[in-house]
Amino acid sequence: MKHKVFYNQSLLISAILLLVSLNDLSAKTGSILESISSEMKHFNNIATETKQNEHYQPYIISVFQGKKLQKLGVSNLKEALTLVPGVDMATDNFNNQTPIFRGSNSLAYGQSKLFIDGVLVNNVFFDAYSEYLSIPIEMIKRVEVVRGPGSRTDGVNAYAGSIHVVTYAEDFKGFESRDKLIFKYGSYNYGMGGFMKTFKAKDFRLFVDFFYQEDDKELPAGPDGLSQGVFGANNVSLSRSGDAPLWLRDYSLGVNLTYKDFSIKARMLEHTGGSAYGINLALPQRSDRLKLPSYYFELAYKKQTDNYKLDIKAGVKYDTFDSKSKLLPNNLNVNNIIFTDGIRGEHFSKQRTVYQSSYLKYSGINNHLITAGYRFMKEETIDMASKLSNRATGDVELVDYSDTLPFFDGDAKRNTLILSLQDEFQFNNDLSFIYGFNYEQTSYENAGIDPRVSMVYQLDLENIFKTIYSRSHRNASWQEMFTKNNRARVGNTKLKPEYVDAFEFAYIKKYTSDSYFQTNLFYLLNKDQIYNSSTDPEYKNAVDTDIYGFELEYKGNISSVDELYLNYSYVTGKTNRKDEGKSESLPNVAHQLAKGYYIYNLNNALSLSSVAKYVGSKDRVSGDTRDKLKTYSTLDTSLNYKNQKYNYSLTASIKNIFNAKVTYSSPPNTYIEDYAQERRNFLIAFTKEF
Amino acid sequence: MKKIFLVFFIFGSLVYGYHYDNLLLKAQASIFPKIMLLDKKLENKLVDGKIVYTIVYGKNDYQTALNINSFIDENHKGHFDKYDYRVDLVEFTDLSQETQASAIYALNSNQYIEKVAEIAKKKGIIAFAYDISNLKNGFLFSLMLEKSAVLYLNKENLYPKKIDFVESLFQIVRFLNTNN
Repeated sequence: MKHKVFYNQSLLISAILLLVSLNDLSAKTGSILESISSEMKHFNNIATETKQNEHYQPYIISVFQGKKLQKLGVSNLKEALTLVPGVDMATDNFNNQTPIFRGSNSLAYGQSKLFIDGVLVNNVFFDAYSEYLSIPIEMIKRVEVVRGPGSRTDGVNAYAGSIHVVTYAEDFKGFESRDKLIFKYGSYNYGMGGFMKTFKAKDFRLFVDFFYQEDDKELPAGPDGLSQGVFGANNVSLSRSGDAPLWLRDYSLGVNLTYKDFSIKARMLEHTGGSAYGINLALPQRSDRLKLPSYYFELAYKKQTDNYKLDIKAGVKYDTFDSKSKLLPNNLNVNNIIFTDGIRGEHFSKQRTVYQSSYLKYSGINNHLITAGYRFMKEETIDMASKLSNRATGDVELVDYSDTLPFFDGDAKRNTLILSLQDEFQFNNDLSFIYGFNYEQTSYENAGIDPRVSMVYQLDLENIFKTIYSRSHRNASWQEMFTKNNRARVGNTKLKPEYVDAFEFAYIKKYTSDSYFQTNLFYLLNKDQIYNSSTDPEYKNAVDTDIYGFELEYKGNISSVDELYLNYSYVTGKTNRKDEGKSESLPNVAHQLAKGYYIYNLNNALSLSSVAKYVGSKDRVSGDTRDKLKTYSTLDTSLNYKNQKYNYSLTASIKNIFNAKVTYSSPPNTYIEDYAQERRNFLIAFTKEF
Repeated sequence: MKKIFLVFFIFGSLVYGYHYDNLLLKAQASIFPKIMLLDKKLENKLVDGKIVYTIVYGKNDYQTALNINSFIDENHKGHFDKYDYRVDLVEFTDLSQETQASAIYALNSNQYIEKVAEIAKKKGIIAFAYDISNLKNGFLFSLMLEKSAVLYLNKENLYPKKIDFVESLFQIVRFLNTNN
């Protein structure tokens, strides 16, 4: 009996021990599984934030990593954008350079939006961002370019595309950025120095980046606009050819601060450039300059609970158009007044944008992520000055015409409210949808509702399909609405927004985790595009344009020590000028673009790379009798050395190695010759990481 | 235009290869060692009481393998749960049945992937692949960063006599459709 009791007790203890050990094993297993799930969620968040899983996202996107661009010898943001499929560059007489997406209205700015670390930085004056295009590539961690209007972010309507520049302020656990020191030297006496530094303590993080850069670039230009009689036949003889001042002086200080759920993003960019081709299309002097400073400050609060994610932002942005130049040459005759020392001018217009947005994401319904919110913006001109040489006497000394003959409406202002609602619906592992709309009201013409529907279907591991329909609009820029007393541009406050209905389809064939072939088809119906011309300088909603085409992209390798990227885009369509009842094929648009790069790693330290670009010919606008703008191809080559031990890298590049003639189109009746760009040039970059 | 098209397609079909995504490498280096801990027969695979996580790589990928090693050491700090571990870097050409390994993680190779899978099978250890396409060549696990992070398992390559996972693991993996 005793034995039996002992036996039973032993059995019980064994059972309890087994149970405890099973419980222990189960608890341990649970904790490991929880840890795996948490890691998967962490990496998924990073992949989504950094667009590493771009092929599964419901828009057409290209992502370029800053370090790779450095290796390729890419100098700045503008050069990086010229690698994007379907993106070409255009410029104007201010050297206000702007990317053209898929041939969409090459005369307008504001067709695309630029975000720096999530902050919209398009200036209010032009709705452009050329002052940011010269940001050195070493300051940029990643460039994400979304083509098409499906790219709206936090209620911002991107019409033809959006560019998201992410600096090294971005911080994820396990992917922290290192402090960095950068020096560059290149053609046109280009010099650049910069650094970035992170300070961290418990819940506090401060990131600072700074750079200064300058060059003394001048490029051949002319005969200038006077040769076309823009100031009358009697002044044609005053037309000049020579070097256009395209020099640059930039400095920028960026600060990103985070403390718990709060963050501050601030940047001060002082951008000064030569007066390029002249406000009045007369070749300026070397010392003439245009300043386009841009400052922003944004305070944000983010809070996440189980099913809710709240994102509140408020910010202010200042941008200025500040020009001082000799506008027209000596002995100009205007209505029989002789300006013996020419006409000088100072134009100043400072804009302020105050904005506030709140967005709430709710994931409490199975397989749905609902986002609702609003963005309110108040844009206004807060200072304006217009000074010119004496129009009555011809004396060169400046007279203040700010009240009597302003170049701009000093009281310009616009309020905009955008309401957004969107649902991301994951139907199953293979199929997901996004649908929603933006509704926009402004103190001028309302844009109304812009809907969007997209679908991503993953047939299997190797084949992904996307379809997108989206509608978007572009509000008229300040320049198009408020310019006054100007022969070439007359503002119009009655302008309606431009609209685009976009139909896009993409097919992605993934060969391996990192190599793919992508095909995109697009059809864009543009309505009421804003247009002016030398014969009718007032801006009007005068053009409808249908654009269609495709893009092909390949990324992969030939061997295990190299990397190849190629893209080709074709675009065509028809422009209908409603006021003149004329139809023509897309003017100022390269129907074919091909770009690519190849990196060959000679060993762990040395790599050799090439960047090739082909830009097809461009038709002129009707009435412009000049020959088509010619095709050009460029080839850049770079040698990169990376020292793993001391963490520094050195890149030497020769750009446009075959000295090709690269030109951007000048509008008719301005400069006869198109705007020439850089010929063969070199760049040396040194980067040290700490 | 026809010529450009032709060149693009011919070139596109000839070129085929790989490079490494840093985020994916780190995700795999964080998650794969934890998968091993869910094998109920892990004790049988220890080498001198330690887990040996063997990274096999091609000659040109030594730096990548070294970076993964550093990341594992930073992330796991000498222990996979209660087990001490060691990371061994072994070139594809040097890998054999005698190579000590509790699990193998393979970078990309055009030549040696099937050999690695065969060795892992004979040794009865888990074979993790950087590239998902290698699951068809005998590897057991891979991880992809799709719309969400997805852990793929090819059940055909699971040998229950030597590798016996806790059932709950199968709730978080996606089985590879072998028809793919």
